[in-house]
Amino acid sequence: MAGYVLRRLLVALPTLLLAAASVFFLMRLVPGDPALLILGDAATPEAVADLRAALGLDRPLPVQFLLWLERVAAGDFGRSITNGEAVGPLLLDRFAVTAPVVLAAVGAAALLAVPFGMLAAWKQDSLADVATVTVATLLLSMPSFWLGLILLLVFGLWLGWVPVVGWVPFAEDPWRALHAILLPVVTLALVEAGVLIRMARASTVEVLRLDYVAHARAKGVPEGRVLARHVFPNAFAPTLTLIGLVLGNLLGGIAVMETVFTLPGLGRLLVDAIFARDYPVIQGVMLFIAAIYVLVNLAVDLLYPVFDPRVTAD
Amino acid sequence: MRLRPNLVIGGTLLGFVLAVAAAALVWTPHDPVRTNLRRRLRPPSAEYWLGTDEFGRDVLSRLMTGAVTSVTVAAATVVVALLLGLAIGLAGGYLRGWVDRVLGALNDTLLAFPGILLALGLLAVMGPSRWGIVLALGLAYAPTVARVVRGTVLSIREREFVEASRALGNSEAYTLLRHVVPHTVAPVTVLATSLFGWVILSESALNFLGLGVPPPAATWGNMLASARPFMLEAPMLSIAPGAMIAACLLGANLLGDALRDILDPRDGA
Amino acid sequence: MRFRALLAAFAAASSVALAVPAAAQDTLRIRLNADIRSTDPGVNRDANTDGIVWHVVEGLVALRADASVGPMLAERVEVSEDGRAYTFALRPGVRFHNGQPLTSADVAFAMQRYMRRETNWRCRGDLDSSVTRITAVETPDERTVVIRLEQPSALFLTMLARPDCGQAGIWHRDSLNPDGSWRAPVGTGPFRLGEWRRGQFVELTRFENYAALPGAPDGLAGNKTPMVERVRFTIIPDDAAARAALLAGNIDILPDARSRDLPELRQRPGISIHSAASMDLQVLLMQTRDPLLQDVRMRRAIALALDVPELVRAVSEGTSRPSRAPIPVGSTFFTPAMAEVPPRDVAQARRLAAEAGYRGQRLRIVTTRRYEAFYEIAVLVQDMLRDAGIESDLEVLEWATQLDRYTRGDYQMMAFGFSARLDPSLSYEMFTGPKATQPRKAWDNPEVQAMLEQTMRETDAIRRRATFEAMHRRLLEEVPMVALYSSVTHGVTPRHVQGYGSWAVDAPRAWGVRIQR
Repeated sequence: MAGYVLRRLLVALPTLLLAAASVFFLMRLVPGDPALLILGDAATPEAVADLRAALGLDRPLPVQFLLWLERVAAGDFGRSITNGEAVGPLLLDRFAVTAPVVLAAVGAAALLAVPFGMLAAWKQDSLADVATVTVATLLLSMPSFWLGLILLLVFGLWLGWVPVVGWVPFAEDPWRALHAILLPVVTLALVEAGVLIRMARASTVEVLRLDYVAHARAKGVPEGRVLARHVFPNAFAPTLTLIGLVLGNLLGGIAVMETVFTLPGLGRLLVDAIFARDYPVIQGVMLFIAAIYVLVNLAVDLLYPVFDPRVTAD
Repeated sequence: MRLRPNLVIGGTLLGFVLAVAAAALVWTPHDPVRTNLRRRLRPPSAEYWLGTDEFGRDVLSRLMTGAVTSVTVAAATVVVALLLGLAIGLAGGYLRGWVDRVLGALNDTLLAFPGILLALGLLAVMGPSRWGIVLALGLAYAPTVARVVRGTVLSIREREFVEASRALGNSEAYTLLRHVVPHTVAPVTVLATSLFGWVILSESALNFLGLGVPPPAATWGNMLASARPFMLEAPMLSIAPGAMIAACLLGANLLGDALRDILDPRDGA
Repeated sequence: MRFRALLAAFAAASSVALAVPAAAQDTLRIRLNADIRSTDPGVNRDANTDGIVWHVVEGLVALRADASVGPMLAERVEVSEDGRAYTFALRPGVRFHNGQPLTSADVAFAMQRYMRRETNWRCRGDLDSSVTRITAVETPDERTVVIRLEQPSALFLTMLARPDCGQAGIWHRDSLNPDGSWRAPVGTGPFRLGEWRRGQFVELTRFENYAALPGAPDGLAGNKTPMVERVRFTIIPDDAAARAALLAGNIDILPDARSRDLPELRQRPGISIHSAASMDLQVLLMQTRDPLLQDVRMRRAIALALDVPELVRAVSEGTSRPSRAPIPVGSTFFTPAMAEVPPRDVAQARRLAAEAGYRGQRLRIVTTRRYEAFYEIAVLVQDMLRDAGIESDLEVLEWATQLDRYTRGDYQMMAFGFSARLDPSLSYEMFTGPKATQPRKAWDNPEVQAMLEQTMRETDAIRRRATFEAMHRRLLEEVPMVALYSSVTHGVTPRHVQGYGSWAVDAPRAWGVRIQR
């Protein structure tokens, strides 16, 4: 087991390197120049050249890339072009905002989705099934920024239950922090529940048709037990894959939610950095997200055999 | 085969959306990009059935032409994502070994690439166009398809009938096509119809962040994104594209479920 | 069951949990739409950074509300006969945040750091150019600073006062680390820098020993007495969330409401809207080197096809005044001759376009959605051009890409906005110059260039005004760009905030503002 994990992590190294290299060169291909963004509409060619030199952007690209890699290998992610902050601590700081939101939301979505999805599949083609699928689809068709703003207006502005802005770190005031992440978690959970319900339903439908379910039923095993012992573990496996994907996706990509709810998270950091062409931050975020992906997917693959006994992790 | 309710409802909804798109190709009540500053943000009326937007453009006409753009972009993206994802997933899941490892590394790299970064890069290289969006979102979603396919294949290839097919001396390719691929149809159909929705919404989110299909061409996504500031003053601006997206998604998903049931290889058995 | 109990507990608690602690009454919370870049005045900066820094540091002179320059740390400025020596007499009784008194040595120290190339001060190039060049900073005694120039300049004091230059703010040498790098500002301003939590807020605290000037606040000059213990600039990127935060009482000042939100905000009781014309400039640029647009008739046709008043009314919700002059309406150099907006003439536009050889080619208009005004201008221009038979496509780019295209001059037409320029020479300089060395410049005409340089040296206001009028006439003839309007800043405050006002530069000022409940 430990050997497998270690091997998987070693295998992930090329992925990380590939991700780092592609983001580095992709961002340099994209037009736009941090020096220009700093100097704005008054940029004289001399001032741009001076600033580029000061930022180390005047050197050949491969040299810049290798220098960056060398420093990263030593644990130094460089400093933000925008505000001079060290990128390493910055990433951890922002991740501490994004992670609880995403974990809570995906957890809630899964708790909501699996029972409903199984129920819909069990009662396939019934009214309950059609209703579940309809609701799931409606959830799917709502953009998070839209749903988020509606919730913000209702609960923040009209009812005044939660502050509209005002993130505080958990370490400082857990109660207020809970308030601040409540709406984003609800919004995300609702939006993500849509897809998870459909996945859970689909895989349950699959499993219900398998011979051993018919067997179990024929042997007179109570329906509840069939669902719990035979259907759930098998139906949950594909849903788990999707949960892993959703989780990884969200950890890097909830910029929209973080904008609506004014959360200083990783997604917002990435978007701001992209717009500011803050290369060290973009590269740092990218590497960080890639690492999280590797870990989340490793976790999913390790969990897979638990639910689907036909597959071994190795 | 009995007539399934989801087939009927799904087909009707999607048929409606396609009919709207088809109609827009030949006729719209007004010019969808014609602005008129003297009639901005009007509520629905006899002349403008769904009112006008912040530039005084007719919402109904934009909704109709938006159907063409949105459906084309979403469908093209799904096709790109499916082709890429199926190829990677099947190869990786079935062949395993070093092929799986290399493809897995590529796939993970792509997965780890945030969609917005991909969109920005490709749009910058290709110029702002809808095909840039298609490629960017297609690339962004392909690894998801690949992972789901690979997961399914991993679990199928251990089954007795796959072993049996091999034991009977059938070639790997035959076994793959005859016994493995059909089992991926169900999860992939579900995923594809979900993808259809995600793409429309992602396009909207890209618009919200300042990228997306270049205006003034209407898509439901950019209509929804630009309606957000007027959610209170002109609710119809958000409701109209929102309802179309919902109808389209509901239709695609119900139809997808029905199709899956019909296509399922074990149905006859 | 446990879940339900939890839910009930939560519902009960949430209604009382967020009562504002008593101390927070003295905190003024202001919206900031993005984080600041640094605290180093005029070095790593943007408009938000300038707006925070000007609470903490002050310069020798400061910008007044009418864009003229007034005294700040210097109580008097004397200019020598030949216009080449400026003598600043420092105001007595001014102390830095660390308690040290302000001396001429501090001024010289700060100025020397600004003028070093490796500092990358935004305005070093402007004060080391053929037009304005500092040759020496002298300190004859503790309270006197003499700055010598190579030749007379109409712009020198304005340069020192520019907010984007950090007002050439004077800080104590404790602001630097031992290695000479920037640490944090120890200034003389009404507020000290408190905690800056990146991505979340910047907090300022009242400087109890602030030496205020008498009178009323006036731009960045005048009386800047701090009236609240603490100012917190809360970073809220989304406009809709910011508006909701103001209405929900989570912030006290929304300094930059969108014009489209105004009709709705005006209807709310207890909400005040403070509108002030800014000194920026929204324009439609045309590339005079483009094969089609190099023909002046084509550019004139485009200008004539635009209904500028209609366009400006729509984009600004009727709050901005349409103007075809690059000099802002509020400037003392804005003359009646510049006030006229040529009327739209679609027939003439068609005729001119045809003469120029226009045969239905599709033009491209570059714009972005980062600044909604740019985007709206582009959409409306496209539609208005259609009336005159001129077809075009929009090229909607992400902002950094557009800025890159702007800097390289790589566009046919572009909806663009220039940030505030405080002197009419600078208003012209921002788009006038040789394309060979500065491709971003829209207007490349050696004769105009010569006129511009003359206005920079000329210190007589009447003669300068005459030259600007002549330049304005030529601008309307040659149309390298169509000036449209200067935007209006709308600050919004609830009833309990008093003494707040918007002004010619967008960013808010927290001095003179009090909270009264």
